[in-house]
Amino acid sequence: MLAPASFTAPITRRQLLAQSSRWLSLAALASLWGDDAAAGTARDGAPTGLPHFRPRAKRVIWLFQSGGPSQIDLFDYKPGLGQFQGAELPDSVRMGQRLTGMTSRQTSFPVAASKFRFARVGQCGAWLSELLPHTARVADELCFVKSMHTEAINHDPAVTFFQTGAQLAGRPSIGAWLSYGLGSENRDLPAFVAMISRGSGNPADQPLYDRLWGSGFLPSKYQGVKFRSVGDPVLNLSNPPGFDGASRRQMLDDLSALNELKLREFHDPEIATRIAQYELAFRMQTSVPELTNVADEPEHVFEMYGPESRTPGTFAANCLLARRLCERGVRFVQLFHRGWDQHTHLPSQIEGQCRDTDQPSAALVADLKQRGLLDETLVIWGGEFGRTVYCQGKMSADDYGRDHHPRCFTIWLAGGGIKAGMSHGATDDHSYNVVADGVHVHDLHATILHCLGIDHTRLTFMFQGRHHRLTDVHGNVVQAILA
Amino acid sequence: MLAYCRNAVGGVRLGIGLLACALVQPVCAAVDGPVNFDREIRPILSDNCFQCHGPDQAQRQAELRLDVESSAKRLRDGVRPIVEGKPEESALWQRITAADPQERMPPTDSGKALSPAQIELVGRWIRQGANWQRHWALEAPRRPELPVVKDRAWPINAIDAFVLARLEAEGLAPSPEADAATLARRTSLDLTGLPPSPEETERFVADRSPDAYERFVDRLLASPRYGERLAARWLDAARYADTSGYQTDGARSMWRWRDGVIEAFNRNQPFDQFTIEQLAGDMLRGATLEQRIASGFNRNHRGNSEGGIIPEEYAVEYVVDRVDTTATVWLGLTMTCARCHDHKFDPITQREYYRMFAFFNNVPEKGRAIKVGNSPPFIKAPTRDQQDQLAALEARLQAAQAELAGLNEAIESGLAAWSASAATADEIDWAPDGNLLASYALDEPATSEPNRPAIQVEGAASFEPGAIRGAVRLDGQSAVNVGDVANFGYFDKFTLTAWIRPRRDSGTILARMTNSSDADGYSVQLACGRLQVNLVKRWLDDALRVEAIEPLALDRWQHVAVTYDGSRVAGGVRVFVDGQPREIRVLLDELNQSFNSSEPLRIGGGGPGPRFDGAIDEVRIYKSNLALQDLLVLSVKESIHELLNVPASERSPAQAAKLRACYLERHAPEAIASVRQRVFDLRRQREALEESFPTTMVMEEMPEPRETFVLARGQYDKPGERVTAEVPACLPPLPTGVKRDRLALARWLVDPAHPLTARVAVNRFWQSFFGTGIVKTVDDFGSQGQPPSHGELLDWLASEFVTSGWNVKSLERLIVTSATYRQSSKCAEALYERDPENRLLARGPRLRLSAEVIRDNALAASGLLVERLGGPSVIPYQPPGLWKELTSGDDAAQDHGANLYRRSLYTFWKRTIPPPSMMTFDSAGREACTVCLSRTNTPLQALTLLNETTFVEAARSLAERVMKSAARSPRERLAAAFRLSLVRAPSEAELAILESALKRQRERFAKDPAMAKKALEVGESPVDGTLDAVELAANMAVMNLILNLDENVTKE
Repeated sequence: MLAPASFTAPITRRQLLAQSSRWLSLAALASLWGDDAAAGTARDGAPTGLPHFRPRAKRVIWLFQSGGPSQIDLFDYKPGLGQFQGAELPDSVRMGQRLTGMTSRQTSFPVAASKFRFARVGQCGAWLSELLPHTARVADELCFVKSMHTEAINHDPAVTFFQTGAQLAGRPSIGAWLSYGLGSENRDLPAFVAMISRGSGNPADQPLYDRLWGSGFLPSKYQGVKFRSVGDPVLNLSNPPGFDGASRRQMLDDLSALNELKLREFHDPEIATRIAQYELAFRMQTSVPELTNVADEPEHVFEMYGPESRTPGTFAANCLLARRLCERGVRFVQLFHRGWDQHTHLPSQIEGQCRDTDQPSAALVADLKQRGLLDETLVIWGGEFGRTVYCQGKMSADDYGRDHHPRCFTIWLAGGGIKAGMSHGATDDHSYNVVADGVHVHDLHATILHCLGIDHTRLTFMFQGRHHRLTDVHGNVVQAILA
Repeated sequence: MLAYCRNAVGGVRLGIGLLACALVQPVCAAVDGPVNFDREIRPILSDNCFQCHGPDQAQRQAELRLDVESSAKRLRDGVRPIVEGKPEESALWQRITAADPQERMPPTDSGKALSPAQIELVGRWIRQGANWQRHWALEAPRRPELPVVKDRAWPINAIDAFVLARLEAEGLAPSPEADAATLARRTSLDLTGLPPSPEETERFVADRSPDAYERFVDRLLASPRYGERLAARWLDAARYADTSGYQTDGARSMWRWRDGVIEAFNRNQPFDQFTIEQLAGDMLRGATLEQRIASGFNRNHRGNSEGGIIPEEYAVEYVVDRVDTTATVWLGLTMTCARCHDHKFDPITQREYYRMFAFFNNVPEKGRAIKVGNSPPFIKAPTRDQQDQLAALEARLQAAQAELAGLNEAIESGLAAWSASAATADEIDWAPDGNLLASYALDEPATSEPNRPAIQVEGAASFEPGAIRGAVRLDGQSAVNVGDVANFGYFDKFTLTAWIRPRRDSGTILARMTNSSDADGYSVQLACGRLQVNLVKRWLDDALRVEAIEPLALDRWQHVAVTYDGSRVAGGVRVFVDGQPREIRVLLDELNQSFNSSEPLRIGGGGPGPRFDGAIDEVRIYKSNLALQDLLVLSVKESIHELLNVPASERSPAQAAKLRACYLERHAPEAIASVRQRVFDLRRQREALEESFPTTMVMEEMPEPRETFVLARGQYDKPGERVTAEVPACLPPLPTGVKRDRLALARWLVDPAHPLTARVAVNRFWQSFFGTGIVKTVDDFGSQGQPPSHGELLDWLASEFVTSGWNVKSLERLIVTSATYRQSSKCAEALYERDPENRLLARGPRLRLSAEVIRDNALAASGLLVERLGGPSVIPYQPPGLWKELTSGDDAAQDHGANLYRRSLYTFWKRTIPPPSMMTFDSAGREACTVCLSRTNTPLQALTLLNETTFVEAARSLAERVMKSAARSPRERLAAAFRLSLVRAPSEAELAILESALKRQRERFAKDPAMAKKALEVGESPVDGTLDAVELAANMAVMNLILNLDENVTKE
């Protein structure tokens, strides 16, 4: 294989076509998974001049916690809340803020303090709930943003907003924007991979949707590829029964030969591309199983990620795969862990959720660190919104529920470009309103892009007469958390 | 590699910008040639300047507008932006050429910059006098004269004159005509979405008459497959799907609308009438069922049923979707930009946006959609077949009813005779029991009724004489638990009846409901004396509550009955007291999902409300809505025996009705009973038939239009000025004196003088043949859109379309019979370099097929395709776990048999998890209106064609098909397969490769016959056991190869 530098040399399509089929595959390689910058043809439409400045991170692993984890029970320690336990949420705190249709007709909004203990952890002294003992051990690598806020108050618009910068479906996901903007580092794997796991705390929780990793109005080749835990990791990856790799290879050679006859007759560059795409498909048949087969991982790695890391489809197994994808240069890996929607029985449900995620999330950070990958990988952990301090439904000493809360919540970031061991922003005594250094979803997007060397105002795509951006016309890079 | 809507992408300025410009100019502009403002200058100003110096008043800087000539040339504070003929004196020119970055426009922080070529062009334009034109698309098209061309032999119709004139100006020549087989395949794929059969191809190729091609085209246009092909793209535009989208994404039923579209295209309904029916069919005088169904176009948008949403927020989104979709499909305008502020590029103000909004804001709908099923308003929409069946049943029913009426005298005399003879007999009682699910006499403590779960008294209860024999007496603390009975949900019809004698005015009579604050389940209760019905999933935001207005009496026996018709709305609940319907009021009508509860059914309790204090008797539960007559009969507490002893003249009408009903059912002679039975049976059949009718969502106008306001920043909770319906001022006005409603809007769109509708429609049809519209931005004819590659051709076609009576088939016929379309797509490399997107049309179209055509093509070639028009959507092969891995629900229940092989436009479209193979080949996601699709080329496409069940099964079936054909030798079979899939014979070079492939596969499978058997097992169609497995598997492998050829997924 040629060194990547070769791709930057100006090669016209005609020159490519004039070469052997080896060149043909290179033509397509350069245009796969969104890596068009090197192909140098106007028709591909990928932006040029990227990155805009020196990137601090080469790639992103986003551990998305779908449903809205409770900041009050995990990160945002409010020691004074106990004294308000059961008291009505003061109007001076709520300030007429809209509520979801589920609790807006509730006649009482009693404060429910967290029943979980908090302690200071690490050198940084961040407060963390007893539910996250493993996260506590890597706290000095993390940057807690306690002043996140969003606009949407229900799951679908809120998750869609986090993923695409707009509440309604139709815009490209952040991973698709990055595929479009930066392409892939790996020629044999997609630039953007999504993986799903189900929360054991609340297994019947909110659904997810393919559009969350979709390409919106960007060409569909920029969409995320969903790795599945049942059947082929990538749909249709395996040869059908009765067809082995050797016979496939022969068939593809024949196919190339026939398509090349056509190419010579018609000169349509699409044919050259198709020939190369079949070659890549063939290579994926090797590269993807090799990636997902974790048999070569030593025992201590499984121990590190926890017992579930051996069970495909769990969050722990997906974290391990995320690290393997990251090692192979996949640009954007996004895990979606369901089950964080604790309207009722929060204490018992959230324990299950934390059991699923605490150890593997921490292991991923530590593992990246020990492999020297953390510096160039941005890791993000968080959900689409937070939860209310007031109780939804029945409240007892040991049990309570919380409704959706977009006004404030906590996420953490780690790695490439982000200051380690810090907390950013603050909320009021009820963890209801941001009181300092608010970070809007658009700001987070701008910051992520910044870490990857992208000026969020300059990564645009013309659609319906407008230069669209991930951050629409908003977003400020959160300078305070940059390393 | 890609062809998508836009060429100019932010960041790629110089290279692409110039290329695109050069291509779409009428003639490559010479260095000092005349500059065309509309096509060359406005796009530059629009993209770089309008944001701050354009239509948006709020953003406008320095009071300068560059979208309006008067402002751009006005002297202001001693400065004139544009001085005709004098760039040096023009402030605009000074600023765009300023060396000082502080001075230079556009400002650096805008992220925009003019290229040297653009600056030069602007300078030249000013020097030439800075002439100004209104944006071309807002001026009505005039029918241009045909241009004069040098090669007068080439053009076949007017299209060719325009195309050739441009080619000649560019110094290019058209390509020769494609050979007959290629043309047959191209045209058939374009007009029907399917390849021509070998017989059709032969017939066409053999036809030596001069109009052989035209007649071939006419046969295709007459095929029912034609409407299906056209409908596919219309479904994209209409964001048609089989689920409602958003989080829950429950199923809905809109396929009757889809089938109406296919039918309209097949019968070549004029596009103006089609437009009126799609937008306002419901408002036509005496609207037919089909016209009402057609109005569902604007109900195809998503509906949000997520718990806890704020309904007002989504009610606005639905209307916004209608405005944006309508504007895209008919006007080709990006009106959505004006939702939050004045449009930045086109002359549409935010106020005008909401005036358009007002046309679509009068649907009696709610912001929160139903979780599963259609959200109101919807109608029953029987298919033609069902309508015929209904008519036949009605006729038979009327005949039977007439026959029964004719027997009235016999019945009366029979009834009188029976009454007399039975008065002394020991007839106990009778009540209607068709569809009776359970009944509780509640006569005594140990009621053990056969075949029913034992009842269990919770708390203290006693028994005492009741309305009918004994009754249970409850003390307000107790209830009777009758177990897991009557687990109704919101699609179920039911009737609940009981006799009650309340002592207190509040208490639950009957309930299957949890005793929690959510209170899910159903209950019938007394609340402050009023009979109240609750159907609840979650109190209060997912619940239905109605109550009878008139209170019940205390301490008196009354018969109460409640019916629910499964319609999920408050209007579906009725309340009866003593057999008479009672007026009700709706307290809550927010039911969005089923209210099934795991609680047992309780009499006198259940749910969080107080328990019943008083006596309850004779609880009867039916799984249907009882007829009025039956409810009347049930309200008679006297037994038959007692009634018989009441003199006929003293019986109340209800009592008389009960006796008569009992007589007819139990004692009438066969001659009467059989007729009566027939009437009953026919009624039941009619009910069952009506039950089976699909429903479909439609548009409907509220009697009083909903008030519409300008929404600040487009937000639902920020209403400002109130506005009424009106069209934007930049477009022709609505006729004066006409009521401003949806119907007027639809008629206005298809006014022959409208500048946009015909152009936009014609452009989209053009795109379906050539891959790119004459205006490439098919969704944007505004100032940010690309200028047309052949402006006069577009106008000529638009004018021709209108003149022809908006005749779609004739327009498509014109296009495919043109010399332009018939050109070969083979061309020299140089032409690809010069015109990679074929905007100049010096060759025929060569394009990758759309997702559905790729699949349909494989099914057709293999002989698996089932050509059945319309019907409910089907679920072909689907990877296991596809839905389950993302939701908490079940996987799709995959279809079997014929439904696996229907055309792809019938595939069930789940918006949040669309069919993966379709998405891999760039299908529209159907979340929102889509009128241009990308065409990518990816490895996932290769994996799909190589390995997906449908395509592998198609390879096997194609192998079987050729092995069973007359073809004997391997060469003949390969040639037959080529004819079936590629509609041509293979070349010698191709045959050589395929033959050796076949030989290799045969050897491989011969060595391992078990492998051959395994290969044949893919797919559910039966394997032909008469064929040799090794030979079949070897052929199948080669067919898989053929179906993967680039040519096989490409229109040539």
